[in-house]
Amino acid sequence: MDRLRFIGKRLIYLVVMLLGVATLVFILTKLVPGDPVTANLSQRALSDETVVAAYKAKYGLDKPMLVQYFLYMKSLLTFDLGTSIRTNNAVLDELARCYPATIELALVAIIFAAVFGIFFGVISAVKRNSIIDQIVRAISVTGVSLPSFWFALIMLFFFYFKLQIFPGPGRLGTSFSAPATVTGMYVLDSLLEGNPTKALDALSHLILPALVLAAFTMGLITRTTRSNLLDVMSTDYIRTAKAKGLSNTGLILSHALGNALIPVLTVIGLGLGNLLGGMVLVETIFNWPGVGQFAYQSVMANDYPSIIGVALLIALNYMVINTVVDILYGIIDPRVRVS
Amino acid sequence: MKKRLLALMLAASMVFGLTACGSSSTGSASSEASESATSEDGASTNSTVVIAMGSGFDTLDPGQVYEKYPQMVINACYETLFKFYSNDGAAEPMLADTYSFNEDNTVLTITLKDGVTFASGNPLTSKDVAFSLNRTKNLQGNPAFITDTIASIETPDDKTVVINLTEPDGAILSKLAYSACSILDSEVVTANGGTDAEDAATSDSAQAYLDSASAGSGMFVMTSYIPDSEIVLEKNPSYWGEATNVDKYVIKIQDDANTQMMTLSSGDIDIACNMTEDTMSELEGKDGITLLNNSTKTVSFLMMNMDESIGGPVSDPKVQQAIRLAVDYAGIQTICGEGTTTPYSIIQEGFFGSLGERSTDYTDVEAAKALLAEAGYADGFDIDLTVCDLAMEGIPLTDLAQKVASDLAEIGINVNIVSEAWAAGYGDDYRDGKLGFTVMYWGIDYNDPNVQLEFLAGGVVGLRAGWTAESDPEIASLYAKATNAIEDADREAVLKEIQEATYEYGPFVMLAQAPCPMAYNSRLTGVAFSDPYTVDLTQVNVQ
Repeated sequence: MDRLRFIGKRLIYLVVMLLGVATLVFILTKLVPGDPVTANLSQRALSDETVVAAYKAKYGLDKPMLVQYFLYMKSLLTFDLGTSIRTNNAVLDELARCYPATIELALVAIIFAAVFGIFFGVISAVKRNSIIDQIVRAISVTGVSLPSFWFALIMLFFFYFKLQIFPGPGRLGTSFSAPATVTGMYVLDSLLEGNPTKALDALSHLILPALVLAAFTMGLITRTTRSNLLDVMSTDYIRTAKAKGLSNTGLILSHALGNALIPVLTVIGLGLGNLLGGMVLVETIFNWPGVGQFAYQSVMANDYPSIIGVALLIALNYMVINTVVDILYGIIDPRVRVS
Repeated sequence: MKKRLLALMLAASMVFGLTACGSSSTGSASSEASESATSEDGASTNSTVVIAMGSGFDTLDPGQVYEKYPQMVINACYETLFKFYSNDGAAEPMLADTYSFNEDNTVLTITLKDGVTFASGNPLTSKDVAFSLNRTKNLQGNPAFITDTIASIETPDDKTVVINLTEPDGAILSKLAYSACSILDSEVVTANGGTDAEDAATSDSAQAYLDSASAGSGMFVMTSYIPDSEIVLEKNPSYWGEATNVDKYVIKIQDDANTQMMTLSSGDIDIACNMTEDTMSELEGKDGITLLNNSTKTVSFLMMNMDESIGGPVSDPKVQQAIRLAVDYAGIQTICGEGTTTPYSIIQEGFFGSLGERSTDYTDVEAAKALLAEAGYADGFDIDLTVCDLAMEGIPLTDLAQKVASDLAEIGINVNIVSEAWAAGYGDDYRDGKLGFTVMYWGIDYNDPNVQLEFLAGGVVGLRAGWTAESDPEIASLYAKATNAIEDADREAVLKEIQEATYEYGPFVMLAQAPCPMAYNSRLTGVAFSDPYTVDLTQVNVQ
């Protein structure tokens, strides 16, 4: 019963939060100077009053702001995110088109970030104050501070252009056509299509942009893992285990790492949420048609239904990720489960 | 020990896995480099051409398209009554077999070619022509202006189209060559929600369909469009005319010039449409790559408001002329890169009747100072120069504003640059004629000198500079004189008159005609820059 009440409360909180986000973003898009008509019509069309009037009428921009708000909220309550002022397509369809590309890239990026981040963090903690520790810390600081667009260009220049190790921009080589959409994620869809060669090609196209995106989160994970592992290693139960004669590796893997990973999970969750919101510069350089590019174009066009759609998507991402992280806390640490 | 070994093995396998993925792709990248494309069944084919072009468009519906790059796609998939077969030539009949004007040039009668069919197999008839032109007009979208002089369309039989004009229009053939006048398969478009009714602006719902497939009679059909990413065109198997040997175009949307340079060098693309001076120099001398330095018809200009309450000192014709004399045109050309020219006047080079370039020797600082003193500003003055965040063919307008500011400092005009976002205020102010002094650019929509008439008093751009027809009836009268001229000799004469009249007079100083550097794989032939289409894909062949 308590659990049901808890789930009910969470759902109500979710709905209120989403409506709040929609309201806030609506107000902000209207407060920011700029006019969707100017942003979307050509220089010549702007001078034609008939065209301007028709455009305003089509998207309801000729109605008072309060009416626009209530009409939008009314459609939102029926799960209709409205029509994009920029593309004239349903916002829900636009998000369904670009979100899978972002999910695919974000998942691979977060896997890279988590695996390398935890690995480097452990090594750095184990080899505390050694030259290896210094190198790893320098790498993590670099990862956090590198501007992603610059890093993307450098990676592309060396690993694609000069060394030709990885393929260039895009989701697939030009020799392949896009797989039939099931999930929208090319690797998975290619496998479902029964074409492992295409899946491998799609996977290879993921590596460079994923590494670029992983750099920032990996730096954070490395630092968090290192500091937490060092804290845990100085606790009494670890000293006791050490006194019992356990090896250093066994101690870290069996006793210390589990506890040290709890804050790391939060960082991974936040990192994933950040990545799922789309990365406009990296997506532009790697020709990746994801949420970041869609959001950028929508903002430039003052396309408020699309901007609100992206904001709601990002809010939902964080809600889902926070819930999953909460559950994972319980799995990793029994004390959380009990409490 | 065992666990340490396991950890090491895991790490090693991860690195190996990454390299393996990369290596597999290297294989595919290099095979693409050598062959440009490999079909999915593994058979090599040279007949796929990959193009990289810029973004900035949201639809491929001919009734809505007005931006630069979609023209390339529309031209490959659709056909028009007239077409520009060369960049500097006039519009020539395409779907039109013969055409004639009535005595007072207000009725254009066109006979359609025989045997033209759409990709669907439907025959192209006069009904399709009327449907397409009426749809564009009634959609009231960005390109609707192109049909402004079309009063009505009659279709006495399947092969004859009678276009009644509101007034004689010397540019009508050029307008009918524009993408918005593409002839659509009315049966297919209607079946997918299209209409040419007067309320099409609200009742037509064919855009979604036309963003996923084409409905034309062109050499290619669109088979896929992923916004901001890729467009795929495949050869129309039932094309009625003579086709090139290209079977498929994959058009990648890549904004970044460096990325285009890298992908062209690596052989992943065949044509890079958005090069810069820097990336062109990287490619210079590279085997198998041909460079094209083109001058476009896109122009940048200084606008000085004629309304004194808005323009202040720059509304004075003497000050305007002083500024015209003070600008260092050679310096502007250096900033914009190789291929840049300065138009003689408001009709740029490449257009029929253009008087060509303004000499860079035109700059005369001393004469400018004298004129400024004559206007009562011997000590110069302070003024704001508003500039927005747009770029002309990749050249930021802010760069041009900086150059103008430093040039005007030479004659004592102290320019304060005010930056504003296009969509956050500047656009509205520009449209409403509220800007006193600004740097802006103008990309042509249809390929005809008459498009430049908007720079005259009472024209679309003229009004933005506070230059009303009432304030300058003599200049304003040239607008109608030019649009009503049909014969080449008459047009040439009036266009010359316009250029001479605005050479040293008016609120505009034409700064530069933008270059459009491009590069392509030398295995292609027929790649040439085209203002209307960027590259005419129906003229490209693979060697």
